Amino acid sequence: MSVISVKRVERDYPLGKTTVHALRGVDLEIPEGSFFSIIGPSGSGKTTLLNIIGCIDNPTAGTVSIDGEETTKLNDKQITDLRLHKLGFIFQNFNLIPVLNVWENVEFPLLLMKTHRKKEIKARVEKLIAAVGLEQHAHHKPAELSGGQRQRVAIARALVTNPKIILADEPTANLDSETSHSILKLMRDLNETEKTTFVFSTHDPDVLKYAKSIVQIKDGKLVHAEEEVI
Amino acid sequence: MPLVLKIAWRNIWRHKGKCLVIGLILFLGAFFMTVGNSIISGMNAGLTENIVNSFTGDIVIISDEQDHNNVLLDMMSGKPLKVIRNYEAVEQVMDDALVHAFLPATAGVVMGLEPGAEMITYMLLGVNIERYQQMFPGNFRVTEGRVFNSGERGILIPELVRTASYEFLDYWFVPQGESLVVENLMEDAFAYKHSLELRSDLVFMGSSHSGSFFDVQVPVTGIIEYRALNKIWGNYAIVDIESFREAHNYVTGADSAIEVSEDRLDLLALNAFDELFDFDDLLADTVVEGDSFNFEELQQAFVREDSPLDLDAGSFNLVFVKLAEGVSQKDGLAHLNQVFSDNNLNVRAVSWQDSVGLIGSMAVMVKAALNIFVMCIFFVAIIIIMNTLSMAALERVTEIGMMRAIGARKGFLKTMFLCETGMLSFFFGGLGIAAGVTLVYFLRAANITTENEILQLVYGGNSFHPILTATDFLIGVTELGIVTVLSVLYPLRVVGKIVPLDAVARD
Repeated sequence: MSVISVKRVERDYPLGKTTVHALRGVDLEIPEGSFFSIIGPSGSGKTTLLNIIGCIDNPTAGTVSIDGEETTKLNDKQITDLRLHKLGFIFQNFNLIPVLNVWENVEFPLLLMKTHRKKEIKARVEKLIAAVGLEQHAHHKPAELSGGQRQRVAIARALVTNPKIILADEPTANLDSETSHSILKLMRDLNETEKTTFVFSTHDPDVLKYAKSIVQIKDGKLVHAEEEVI
Repeated sequence: MPLVLKIAWRNIWRHKGKCLVIGLILFLGAFFMTVGNSIISGMNAGLTENIVNSFTGDIVIISDEQDHNNVLLDMMSGKPLKVIRNYEAVEQVMDDALVHAFLPATAGVVMGLEPGAEMITYMLLGVNIERYQQMFPGNFRVTEGRVFNSGERGILIPELVRTASYEFLDYWFVPQGESLVVENLMEDAFAYKHSLELRSDLVFMGSSHSGSFFDVQVPVTGIIEYRALNKIWGNYAIVDIESFREAHNYVTGADSAIEVSEDRLDLLALNAFDELFDFDDLLADTVVEGDSFNFEELQQAFVREDSPLDLDAGSFNLVFVKLAEGVSQKDGLAHLNQVFSDNNLNVRAVSWQDSVGLIGSMAVMVKAALNIFVMCIFFVAIIIIMNTLSMAALERVTEIGMMRAIGARKGFLKTMFLCETGMLSFFFGGLGIAAGVTLVYFLRAANITTENEILQLVYGGNSFHPILTATDFLIGVTELGIVTVLSVLYPLRVVGKIVPLDAVARD
């Protein structure tokens, strides 16, 4: 069953007197539990597609369904709640809250949900910080961490609400190769243990060996799909 | 600590520079607002104490025939004030629950008579001194002599008038029966202390509405100094009301006491001039006994006796009214004027501000200027804080956009921003208010005094006594709250418009 369904999605951006067609009729079905990679060169539309899937951007045409819910029909509050409960984000630049320490950054989405008890929150945050190997840095602020450590915090934060899907836009772009591999391995492990669907974009061929499914995008169109690379 | 407060608190420490700028503005705004409000309150209290409670009351009632309301400080027009024609009916209205106390009086300008010297004018307030002191207790102090008794002839000369009299006429008033107090002499007069011409009475001349003039001689019983605003009120000498009435040909208390027989009333009722003399026995032979008349005896025979009189029985040209506690001047004026109009009393009630003309207007203007000053601070603070917060919001687009992306609602982010501003406002605004309170305390302790009339109006009296009441404190806190809320409204709009895409786009 598809946890993400993208149908005939188009996205146009006005640029001066011209229009940039970032996505041109993209159709995509991503099954639950996938470890899915969108590849393509810079400017091909990877980030736009991820943004639209993550309800960060709206399509000009077409529909997107997340876990069976058509996102284009939702209002701002519903979309915010959908992002909080069903989606997790890992950004290229980590995007942690600078004034909160590791623990508090990971805890943040759970506190926004207002549905968990303190004990549950503590257990969940503790488990995830341990899973990303940052027990020793739990009280460090993002500025005191390396790039790889920050991305681990971002992964833990994305996973803390137990979302259906985690979207990662070039998660290793700002990391060295060794750290990149360890991050991807961590994501892959979590995909297997937590059964969370991971969708990530990259243009790094080295990253691809971790993906189970790959689609290639070029000039806003999907041009190639490959199943079970590994 | 709730999450939103925690983030807000830490963000303040993270953006120390901007927060200090905002904090400084809030501090200065709160400081100036506190001090400004205290000055306004001090001025209000001072004006109430030194004008309303000491000289005019809240309201002044004057004749409806009076063409202008400035009856107390615009007497140089030469026109005497119109007499209140039916004072007894007006007095009955004064039983109203809205009226706390009232004092009928006369005010006007008279000419000082001094053979061979320049004419000098005096502003006189004619009162029943007993009632005056009950109405305005302690509004002057006697520096020499004494206050004349009720029913006694006499005048109280203010220091300012004594000085002016010396400058124009070269004589120095000394109360009757008193000797010269050298220490009280002005500097110029001191040099001539041995040859100084002393005067213990004042001969003045008033004019009636019909244009006739009457002169009166009254003994100076005391020299006075008004407790406050001496430069303004110090022009007014206080005279017994009967002397004032005689000088202006008003009906005096003595006149009212005269009983006229029926036949004389019939005689006075005759219209035809000839009938007055149409009697057979108009002229009769008589025998004159004695052949010499002493002038002093004749004079004595025609002098009005200072017998106990009903001083309230004569004429008045104004009534000072103090309103009951809690009654606003506006309500008091409206009510009294309605009653006067309904009963055709031919009088009108005017505000104390109107009754003192320019001084009242200046008091209102000074107050308005202070209020405008406070409002300007208010406005400038809002603009600067709003601008700085908007800049801060725009600089944190990535952070705010990311929070939105991971599930924070607009309300959460707005609350976070509001908390940041609120904390700054609470801390720096609180400091500003505390500093303002401290300054007000020191200003009161410093007891700054002035002789300048304009400053006296700003101060509400001779000394600068800003007051910080609980109400002022609450107003200050409310104003600070309003500044905070108004200045954060636009930045909140900016925050509300930040979308998750902004976080990604900045990447």
